[in-house]
Parts: sequence; C-alpha cells; structure tokens
Amino acid sequence: MKSIIKIAWRNLLRYTRRTLLTASLIAVGVALVIVFGGIGNSFKSEVIGILTNSNLGDIQIHKKGYVGSIDNLPLDISIPEKGLKKIESLLDNNPEIKAYSPRIRFGAMVSNFVQTTNMRLTAVYPEKESKTCSALAKRIKEGDSNPESFVSHGSIVIPLNISTGMNLKLGDDIVLVATNKDGSVNGMTFKVSGISENILGPQGKDGYIHIDDAKSLLRIENGEITEIAIKLNNFSKLSSVYAGLKNELMGIQGEKTAKPMFEIHTWEELSPFASIAKIVTLLIMVVRLVLISIVLISILNVMMMSVYERIGEIGTIASIGTLPSKILALFLTEGLLLGFFSAIAGNVIGMIIILIISAAKLNFTFGMMEISLAPQIPTAEVVFALVIVVIISALASLQPAFKASKMEPVEALRHV
Amino acid sequence: MELVVLDNVKKSYVNGEVLTPALKGISISISSGKFISFVGPSGSGKTTLLNLIGCLDKPTEGKVFVTGTEINRMDRKTSAKFRGDNIGFIFQNFNLIPVLTVYENIEYPLIMVQNVPPEKRKQKINDLLEKVGMTDQKNKYPAQLSGGQKQRVAVARALVAEPKLVLADEPTANLDHVTAYKVIGLMHGMKKDFNTTFIFATHDQKIVGEAEIIYTMEDGLITKKQENTISGEVSR
Repeated sequence: MKSIIKIAWRNLLRYTRRTLLTASLIAVGVALVIVFGGIGNSFKSEVIGILTNSNLGDIQIHKKGYVGSIDNLPLDISIPEKGLKKIESLLDNNPEIKAYSPRIRFGAMVSNFVQTTNMRLTAVYPEKESKTCSALAKRIKEGDSNPESFVSHGSIVIPLNISTGMNLKLGDDIVLVATNKDGSVNGMTFKVSGISENILGPQGKDGYIHIDDAKSLLRIENGEITEIAIKLNNFSKLSSVYAGLKNELMGIQGEKTAKPMFEIHTWEELSPFASIAKIVTLLIMVVRLVLISIVLISILNVMMMSVYERIGEIGTIASIGTLPSKILALFLTEGLLLGFFSAIAGNVIGMIIILIISAAKLNFTFGMMEISLAPQIPTAEVVFALVIVVIISALASLQPAFKASKMEPVEALRHV
Repeated sequence: MELVVLDNVKKSYVNGEVLTPALKGISISISSGKFISFVGPSGSGKTTLLNLIGCLDKPTEGKVFVTGTEINRMDRKTSAKFRGDNIGFIFQNFNLIPVLTVYENIEYPLIMVQNVPPEKRKQKINDLLEKVGMTDQKNKYPAQLSGGQKQRVAVARALVAEPKLVLADEPTANLDHVTAYKVIGLMHGMKKDFNTTFIFATHDQKIVGEAEIIYTMEDGLITKKQENTISGEVSR
C-alpha cells in the first residue's frame, strides 16, 4: 500500500499545474462550505438565542387548543391550577429543565388619557421569567432592568414603539383595560417602570406586568395561567427533552374527556423564524451540493485525462505483471489523495476565514434585532466536507480506474 | 522440458470486416538458456509472436506453452501473475516508469508484482545495479538518463524477478551503435549469470549476429531457422 501511495502521489506531482488547479477548485468549494456553514449556523444560533432567551423559551406548554388560537390570546383556554401543579411537579423532577416560567398572556387596551391603543401583555413572576428568558431584562433599555424585580406590583414594562407612539416616559401613568374570560371588562392603572427593545419587529407591542396584577385585572381568583415557558440546561437536547415531556404530558388527561389536557411545542413551532432557519439550512445543503458537483466533475476530469495520457504506462505495468486490482488501486489512490489533500487545504482556508470573521465581530440588524456575527468553526461542516470529498473523489476515480485496470496490455502498449 | 512450445499457432486481427492474418501457423520449441532472435521485415509477425509467448495476447488457433503451462487459456488475473513470475520484458522505448528513480524502477516488480521482503529486495537490486553499471545513477529519474542507460535499467528490471524467459522487442532500435553493443553484451552476460532465455524480435544485425538461433519470419510464417555457432561473444 505504501508503494501505491508513493506512486500515486508522485503521479499527482508529475502534472503540477493541473493538480494545483484541480486542488484549488476543490479547496475553494470546501472553504465555501465551511464559511457558509459557519456564518449560516452562527446567524441561526444567534437569532434563535435572542428569540428563546428574550421571549419564547425553548419549549412552551399550553392547554390543548391554545396554540391554534394563539393570535387571539384566549383566556378561556387556560391551564387550571391543578394542572399547573402537575406540570410543575414534572418539570421540577426533570434534571434537563433549567427553569420555567408560568405566564398569563392577554390582549388589552392601553390609554395614556389622551390616546388609546391595543397591546399584548405577558404577565410573569419576574424572578422566574428572568431565569427562563435571561436576555429579557437586558433588553429593558430604560428603567428598572433588575432581573429579580423588573416588574413589580402596579408597574409595567412597555415596548419602545408604544413608548414612542404614545409619548410615554418612565413614571407616567397608563390605564390597561382588558376583557376577562367571562366577557366582563376591567381596568387598572399602572406606572411605566421600564421601556424595552422590541424583538419581534416594529409591529410587535409586547408589555410585561406582574402576574398578580394580571390576576387582579382579569379577575382570576384561582391559579389559572395560559402558558409555561421552559428553559433547558442544554439546548442541543431539545428534541429528546421535548419528546420526553410530551410523553409525560400525554399521561395527564381530563377527567371528563379522557384525552390529553395539554399541548407542548418547541420554539420552532411558535416562531416564524423557524422557516428562515430552515431556509438557511437548505442553502447550506445547496452549497454542499455545489461542492459535491465540483469535486465529482474535477476529479473525474483529471483522472480521465490521467488515464488517457498514461495508456502506454498502464500497458507497461500490466505486461510486467501488475494485477488489474493493483492498477485500479493506483488510480483510485491518486484520485483519493487529490481529494483528501484538497479538502484539508479547503478546511484550513475555510477555518482561517471563519476566524477572521469571528475576530472582526460583524454586527448587523435583522428586523429589530442587533445580530453580532461571531461564527465558530463548524466542526460538523469540517468533518462533512472532508468525508464527502473523499467519498466523491473515490466515486469519481472509480470509472477511470476501472478503465485503466481493464485495459488489455497488448493494446495499451501499442498506444503512442 | 522445453521452455516455450508453439503448436500450430495462428493469429488474425479483425479490422472492420477485414480479417488480417498475422501468424499463419507457427510451430517451434525453444529450450532454456538460449539467445534467440526472430528477424524479418515489418509486418512479418515478430511482435505478434512475442506478444503470444509473453502471455499478452491470445492466439486465434493453436496452443502456446511456456514452462509447460498452456498460457492461452488463462484469464487476465492469472496471466498477469504468470507474467510477473516467469517473464521479463524489454521494450524498444525502454518504458521505464517516469515517476520512479532507477532504483525504484528495478524494485517495482519485486514490490508490486512479487512480495519480496525488503532486505532481500535491496540486495538483489544492488547486485543488478552493479551488473548493469548503474549504481552511481540509482537515484536519478528516467528523464535524467541517456537512452543506453535507460535500456540498462530496463534490462535490470526485466531480470530482477529472476524470470525464466525475457522477451525483447527491438531493444536496440533507439540506441546508437556503441550503446547497442554494450546493451547486447550486458544481456549476454545476464543470460550466462541467470541461465535466462532471451527472445528478441529485431531487424538489428548486431543482435542477429549474437543470437544462437535465428528464426526468419516472412508474411506470418517462419521461413528459416539458422543456428549461429559463433554466438556468445559480442563482437565489436
């Protein structure tokens, strides 16, 4: 095998310019996969991080049917106190759960006594919400941004667009008017204690109040809530934790219906960004396909040329007694070496570019979000590029190598 | 036992719809340790005959035996192995592997064809390098050698696996007069040292003059067999 590798390597160096050109083409393709994969994955994880840490959590649990009507923020599809206790018991005993936050989400009219507009409100326990969505308090740009107390009784955090649109400042009084689940209307006065950046785009109007205030406003006398947001210890275990929780929740059934009472969703099912993330993944796949095509065509081309140029030489080694399998191995090894070292070069170039981008810390705005692009070296892409290039190189070399091994020595020797 | 036996061997080539006979029925026997030359004009069938004896081609009719083995029934793999074990080749254009040094070219059959252990390999190659006078050039590549040097390396490569038979097709055609005599002398010496049979296809009178048996071929047939009693000394 050592001799085969030596001969194959020297044959590659024999046509230096052609080998370098082909290797450069493959290396550029591999580098493109690494860079695109790194940037794409960095963008995805950055946005997902902002979404899940600021608002969504990794997983949410609702009463069955809630998500289907989530645009209306229905109060009549709520998790009863008894159900909440069961869920809390499940979550408390699950070592993969870092934190969870019970919430009441509802729509309300907000008035500054001059103007009125509508607003989405999330009522939370601030300390629980901060543990679940650690970036939320950091997004409060004015006012109290203490994670433990960013909303207290009688205070409200309003989004920047409401503050600007209604000319509201810290300490101003506003009135929230909301309809409870029985249809009756109630109003309460709140003091603006914070103004937060909005993460969901300019159309979003999301404010935060204390959950006890929401219960008063909505006249909820028992411990009903509308959702539980969950934060995991390890985001990469999302699928398995989700599956486990779903399985456990299916066991909690309604007394009358004998059907599961709750539904569970990952962030992907709750955010439109999941579609963008899928498109990014698709684009990475397309770049991978381009790489595969480049490698396939380049190696096939160079190996076919190699075989045609060396017909006489193939005749010589065959007549000396080299077995067809060894002739096949010689050409296969040549293609594999070309692919392997090109992939290594491409990986190195790609990683250097990633490190440069990462050091440069590129910032840009996506919707209302400030994204800081700091791509990490995508280990999966690096391994993928190396493995796929080697596999495709082997496949592309097979046909020319077979052709060489099947040559009749007497005919090959006649070739000039 | 005869080393090579050809029994009414015929070979025809099909070119489109035209059948061209190259050999029209050759029957000869060649014993071990001989220096044999096939002579004749171009197209007389010399190379075709060498290809058949060398297990590179198959006859249309008849049988070819080398070392007692009927070689025309072998498949590709078996014939490759048979060639590697029993036959050495010397070509008109030397046919050295350009990416290998002199040493590595001679080593090639021992590594890629036979599986000779490194120590034995080294000893054999160094002996042969000395015999062909190429020890000083062993690290050079074929492109750095003269025609005569290349052919000396080719002779060493053909003999390194200790074949019973060496086939040489016009081995001196690309060499000048002096170099050609040196190469013939070298092959003569090798024949004595290794008791190897050399079969040439040539119209070079220098080789013809050194052959022990000269077969003259014309139009696919052997028309004359001549035994040369003064062979064995390379005259200059």
